[in-house]
Amino acid sequence: MTANPQQGECDQRKLHGYLDDTLSESEQLRVEQHLCQCESCRNVMRDSAADQEWWGEAGEYLRNDRWDDVATTSVVMKNADPDGTPQVGDEPASEFSDRHLPLAMRQVREWLDPTDDPHMLGRFGGYEIVGIIGQGGMGVVMKGYEPALNRFVAIKVLAPLLASSGAARQRFAREAKATAAVLHDNVIPIHRVDETHDLPYLVMPYVADAPLQQRIDQEGPLPLVAVLRIGEQIAAGLAAAHSHGLVHRDIKPANILLENGVERVRITDFGLARAADDGSLTRTGVIAGTPQYMSPEQARGESVAARSDLFSLGSVLYVMATGRLPFRAETSYGILRRIIDTEPRPIREINPQLPPWLETIIAKLHAKTIQDRYASAEEVADLLRRCLAHVEQPMSLALPDECQSKSAEHRSTFGEIWAKVAKHRPTRVTMTVLGAVTALSLLIVGRATLLNQPQLHDPPSRTVDQAAAARTKVDDPADDPAVAWDGSDGEIERLWQDFETFESQAQRLWDGPPARPINTPTWQPSTTPSQESNP
Amino acid sequence: MAPLPETRSSLLVRVRNPSDAEAWHEFASIYRPAIYRLARRRGLQDADAEDLAQRVLVSVSGAIQTWEKDEKRGTFRAWLLRVARNAIINAITRRPPDIAMGGSNASEPLDMPHTDEEAIRKLVEDEHRRAVFRWAAAEVRSEFHDTTWKAFYRTAVDGISIEDAAAEIDRTTGSVYAARSRVMRRLKAKVLEFQG
Repeated sequence: MTANPQQGECDQRKLHGYLDDTLSESEQLRVEQHLCQCESCRNVMRDSAADQEWWGEAGEYLRNDRWDDVATTSVVMKNADPDGTPQVGDEPASEFSDRHLPLAMRQVREWLDPTDDPHMLGRFGGYEIVGIIGQGGMGVVMKGYEPALNRFVAIKVLAPLLASSGAARQRFAREAKATAAVLHDNVIPIHRVDETHDLPYLVMPYVADAPLQQRIDQEGPLPLVAVLRIGEQIAAGLAAAHSHGLVHRDIKPANILLENGVERVRITDFGLARAADDGSLTRTGVIAGTPQYMSPEQARGESVAARSDLFSLGSVLYVMATGRLPFRAETSYGILRRIIDTEPRPIREINPQLPPWLETIIAKLHAKTIQDRYASAEEVADLLRRCLAHVEQPMSLALPDECQSKSAEHRSTFGEIWAKVAKHRPTRVTMTVLGAVTALSLLIVGRATLLNQPQLHDPPSRTVDQAAAARTKVDDPADDPAVAWDGSDGEIERLWQDFETFESQAQRLWDGPPARPINTPTWQPSTTPSQESNP
Repeated sequence: MAPLPETRSSLLVRVRNPSDAEAWHEFASIYRPAIYRLARRRGLQDADAEDLAQRVLVSVSGAIQTWEKDEKRGTFRAWLLRVARNAIINAITRRPPDIAMGGSNASEPLDMPHTDEEAIRKLVEDEHRRAVFRWAAAEVRSEFHDTTWKAFYRTAVDGISIEDAAAEIDRTTGSVYAARSRVMRRLKAKVLEFQG
């Protein structure tokens, strides 16, 4: 078969063999030689591979046109370049940060102009560069010295990769300028916004502030007074920015600076998250960084309003109070889902020492719909300020009225009932059975809620939201079933009898036919049935 | 022999698993360019189109759990494109409330009036198919030598003549004919694999 005497002649099987890559090298070569002269075999080859429509589509779709985003698509398609280095596919987000940014840092030296001062690294935009402070998603931060004013400054340079995106540059400049207009104690001032060597940068005072994140990492949960003091200042800074129409978009402990040793807050990186998004998503298509402090509307990809920052503030308060993140998951995607769909665990479950009103405030900041949050950052600042005053002088200053919430009241009502029942028959069995019955009724109520929903496949958030709404909608205490139930001791007594019956039945089922008396002094909930049945 | 690649419907299933970051990344790498291009063709400028693509992907990530897998093939695509189309129409007709979103950039002429449902549907189908072709090309690219790939790309995509391509990669014209067909056949198989 290999020595084909008719190598110059048409052989369709060979053509198919070529396409399927089943021919030996010498056979392939003969097919190629044959195709050099035989037009009909070229056509057979072409049509066997795919019909004309496919060829046309391939040509049209793989070609770059003016709608293409140069940063992404051309890389995949154009790698038939002379040196033939294959570069296939987009770069994952992790590579973007791990591989490119250290590169950005190495590049710093290339940006610098020579200096006469041997102690300096070089000059950048008229500043003597003392060193590199760090780098982040945005670019590199350098420490500079401004001789004319005899002061140190921090210079934030937009990463070259981001600077190559026109959109990112524009937003960087625009938002830095907008932030510069905000003059407030709790917002870090911006001295200057400029560009040099095509690299946009902004200049801020150099301060030895430590990010709130660092303090939380070191200390864990902060004292209540610190939570309120820091929270109040964040809210005040946000209020100032919001009044300028600026939304921060990325409120998180890493962007909250605390002046050395004092709880004086300065918010940094206003609106800059935005420019980082512009640059990174051209390359990855996914969100840059961690979305842990995002609001649900951000997580859903909807537009962001001033009150989106309030949700993030709620998460910051949560972290300060508990030392834990409110929304946790293994992946960014999982976190987004939790932000959208789930209520975080109430702070008092984590730390019962925290006051109920703080739980209420955080819950309101964490409202899934914008309209259910506080109306403004100003309102939150004012509220936290008055709460702080109360905590510091509980005797002379009352807790703000807004902090007396429904949900906190309900919780205490339940607590009272619980205490009452427990006092009545203080055994663990009672508690267990009461718990079981409560869980059962919750289950039934939950089920009824579910069945009442028009669409069963709706996301779970609906159920949660409705349940939450139902909880908070009880206005008249008399309408509250819990209160009504508490109204008569006789009911508790009857319920207790039911428990006893239920308990004895359960015990019989557990022990088998020879029923023994229950609730005798010998019976202990902790002993196992098998031990008990021994004489 | 490499193991058979995952079929696309299984990618969709994997994407619904929140911890499968790789699946999500692949999903985004296929659909982000499609949404971006759609937005561009509807008159949005670069930054706004990127913004939109991001927003659509994030809302898809939120809503993908509700998409029912057992519906007919193509339903997911129709659903995704409905999400994308709504987002585009919203983006064009409604300006975001805060200044940080960036100003109005719809200075480029629109492809067509956004009320034309049929035209939008066509556009969306077109961009989806383009995305699949590009995904398939990226997938099969590494299976071929550079000269083989170039024989295909230069002639079928860039549209230069067989002779010029042969000269460029220093091969016979017969070799170019054969090589480009081999790539085309594989590309087609990959595209069909996505759909199947």
